[in-house]
Amino acid sequence: MPSQELLLTIITDISIWFVLYLIVTIALNLQYGNTGIPNFGMVLSVAGGAYVTGALAGRIARLYYNVGTDLDFVADSAKIASMINNRLASDPLGGIVLFLLIIVIAVVVNAVLGFIVTYPSIRVREVYLMMVLIAAGEAIRIVGENYYPLVGGTTWVQVPNVFIWLGDAQRVVVSVLFVGIALLVFWVVQRIVGSPFGRLIRAVRENETVVESLGKNTVGIRALVFVLGSAIASLAGVLYAFHSHAVMATAFQRSSWTFLPWLMLMLGGKGNNRGALLGTFLLIVVRRLIMIFKYEVQQVIPVEAIWLELLLMSGFLILIMIYRPEGLIPEKPIKVRGLDYEDMARVNARNRESGEGDEWRDWQLE
Amino acid sequence: MLPTYVSGAIIYSNLLMLLSIGFTFAYLTAKVPNFAHGGNAAIGIYVTFTLVRIMELDPYWAILFAFPICGLTSALIYKGVIQALKRRGAGLISLSIATIAAQMMIFASVNIYADYMRGQAGAYARVFLFRNEDFEWLGLPGVLLVSTLLAVSIITVLHLMLTKTKFGIATRATVENADLAGTLGIDTELISLVSWFITGGLAGVAGTLLPLWFQSTPYTGSLILMSVFSASVVGGMSSIYGAMVGGYVIGLTEVLGTSFLSDQLGSWVLSYRPLIPLIAMFIILVRVPEGLAGIAGKIDLSRIRESASSLSTFARRRRGDRDA
Repeated sequence: MPSQELLLTIITDISIWFVLYLIVTIALNLQYGNTGIPNFGMVLSVAGGAYVTGALAGRIARLYYNVGTDLDFVADSAKIASMINNRLASDPLGGIVLFLLIIVIAVVVNAVLGFIVTYPSIRVREVYLMMVLIAAGEAIRIVGENYYPLVGGTTWVQVPNVFIWLGDAQRVVVSVLFVGIALLVFWVVQRIVGSPFGRLIRAVRENETVVESLGKNTVGIRALVFVLGSAIASLAGVLYAFHSHAVMATAFQRSSWTFLPWLMLMLGGKGNNRGALLGTFLLIVVRRLIMIFKYEVQQVIPVEAIWLELLLMSGFLILIMIYRPEGLIPEKPIKVRGLDYEDMARVNARNRESGEGDEWRDWQLE
Repeated sequence: MLPTYVSGAIIYSNLLMLLSIGFTFAYLTAKVPNFAHGGNAAIGIYVTFTLVRIMELDPYWAILFAFPICGLTSALIYKGVIQALKRRGAGLISLSIATIAAQMMIFASVNIYADYMRGQAGAYARVFLFRNEDFEWLGLPGVLLVSTLLAVSIITVLHLMLTKTKFGIATRATVENADLAGTLGIDTELISLVSWFITGGLAGVAGTLLPLWFQSTPYTGSLILMSVFSASVVGGMSSIYGAMVGGYVIGLTEVLGTSFLSDQLGSWVLSYRPLIPLIAMFIILVRVPEGLAGIAGKIDLSRIRESASSLSTFARRRRGDRDA
């Protein structure tokens, strides 16, 4: 049935984009929402992950299977990828190992990259950090678009299809796998945020001086969170590359990989992952609908869809920040294990009756 | 007369200086980095385009039009976005992301305008260079003279305004301590608004002159912002004089450095030109995070203190000698 086919296409399409952006938004929420690091260069890590995949997946597989080693990696990348895919079709283990290996390399490379980029500025004024990160996001695009051997400059490189052995089931299985990876990321970050370390990073966000006076190294904590966030966000780049079987440097623009995640986080509500999830979902659905009905829209408003979308998104962000700065789901204090909230409520009630003693305030009770 | 790369370096430094003065000044008064600054330059670029290609006027008329247009855009951003957010207690990061949103709006609008102009004026609305529309004087390109004159006169006017007028003194008070200035009856919000108008206008003016020497696209505004950041960091983000020096240091390093490196290593270096200000910014942040103003301040202070103390001991000894 064609309509069922179409529905499946739309669902897998939306779920893939949702997964990619969810990972980025969660990473941003860890960095900005929880720790207060203004990462205006999110695109750096996403592009970093995709570049690692584009540059290494094909090269590693080419060496491993010893096919097409005499061809030019970029110019003949389609030919090389199809040779590798032929071998991968009968080698599920090879595909899985390649997938995991690239993930590990990308995570390590981007963690290091994140550390290097923030090293000079994380200890000085916030404004400098913002400027360095914006500039670094532009810089990686410039490198990607000009350094031909990396991912083909303004052309692209093909990425081997590591799930080709799944045959027809590929699309559904890959979507489910990616959703699983995103849920894993969500769960891990949720655990980090709920742990003592999570309370520490929110304390850094609220007041660095207080945290330092308690003997904590705030610069180190901020650098650690930035590195962690970069590593997580690079996953999105890796998955994006493996999903589209190609990497193109021009796809990593500031508007789509820095600004859009910020908009998602601000819409959903910063500082809580459920908000990030909701904001990502809403915007992905809206954005995909715009893409699907782009020709109809262009009939009415004779403007290129990308600019119209950018105009609407940026206007929307300003409106959200003015009229609903806390987002759709405001941040709530996270319950701490080991505290007896019911007892605190009882103490409150008793104190209120007798008119003596201090009251646990609302945020302590939540 | 002059080799082209030297003219290019001077023109670029002049324009970069105007931009980085504006970026620093807007930051100092409102304490918010105006990431839409490059957008104002992009508007300036397209004002020139419109005048030259559509109205077929001399490109320098664009200065007159761009100043109010970009000034008003910038003032609108301050009034409509920054003030509205400040009133709701938004912090530095929220205000900054709002200016990025404003930058995105300008960027999208400029692109829409460029697409529209492509329909009106033919294929070259997205990449253009107006070197041929410029005049020459004694073999020097006109934009070299105009940008230098403009830079010198704008610095002079700004300096006089900041030191001699009541408004300028109020501005400096706002920069030093906005709350304290407010208690003295200075309308700090008005000061910020006016400074954003002026700086936006200056960015627009710098933008109008860019296409006279450099190839311009709708992306030029965002790209040049990297050099502006770098120049402001070199300047220390604490005074417009620092930004002035920073603009020249980065402008000259960027253009001369690129042409030197491309001579040495080959022309592939040219495409990596925007990385030079980034690297410069990294070095400055690691070595002297307070910028050149900080170095100058440190040297002066220590020397002055030393010489002052030695002078005073000397004077005391002399006085002691005399008394005895």
